[in-house]
Amino acid sequence: MLEDELSVSIRERDGVSIIDLMGDVTTFAEEKINSAYAQVTDHGAKQILLNFRQNDYINSAGIAILIGVVTEVNRNGQRLAVSGLSQHFQRIFRMVGLSQYIDIYQDENEALRGFATAAA
Amino acid sequence: MDTQSPSIDLTIPSELGYEKIAREAVAAFARRFGFDHERIEDLKTALGEVCINAIEHGNACVPGLRVLVHCECGNDRLTVEVHDRGVKQYLAHGPSARIEQKVFGSAPLRGMGLMLISQLVDDVGFSHNPEGGNICRFSLERQQIHANGTRE
Repeated sequence: MLEDELSVSIRERDGVSIIDLMGDVTTFAEEKINSAYAQVTDHGAKQILLNFRQNDYINSAGIAILIGVVTEVNRNGQRLAVSGLSQHFQRIFRMVGLSQYIDIYQDENEALRGFATAAA
Repeated sequence: MDTQSPSIDLTIPSELGYEKIAREAVAAFARRFGFDHERIEDLKTALGEVCINAIEHGNACVPGLRVLVHCECGNDRLTVEVHDRGVKQYLAHGPSARIEQKVFGSAPLRGMGLMLISQLVDDVGFSHNPEGGNICRFSLERQQIHANGTRE
């Protein structure tokens, strides 16, 4: 397997469902990301944070998976944010327009403050 | 391409994931010639997308077909050519669908690779290899050229 297989875990902090993503976000990540999203949604999540760990490799297939999550988030009336992206991938997210639908934060703590402010 | 310039050549199988090896090799080559971190990140992302096109479309994921990557550096410019066998052509694409169309289901989720490539490199072109196959050629200046002509 040439991919750095994506490791996905779920936790909750301050009422925000956090999906931690470690590894490559490519076509091989689809099942894990969609499954994690479905799991937090089944548990009633309204605020979801995708917490990246300065991932080295996110390609257009990975971005397509995230656009699919955005579609579901809109449908389900949830709020979605990302944190932990490298500067390069923050720029890529803006380039493809994902920043119109996802709030981008430097790190998890900043994202949680952003959720709290939006909910206030 | 200029045979006097320093260059590297590599070939990879038509299997998704191998584009990572091409990315790392070409990034190391660019680093040797003083390209900075952000330009190398642009190069890695663009090359990954070009290789994925070659693997998925040009070679239709046929494992026995190879993708050839040639990279050379000269005059503050890094030029990369990616050759496939042309099982399918992926030339003459129109503009990528907008993200709004994708989010609201009126366009496929995939298909942002070519847009990313064109945004990240200073020039890109596709051609047919007279001996068969597609060639994608792109280049990056050592310093990024902005739309207004200024350099970083």
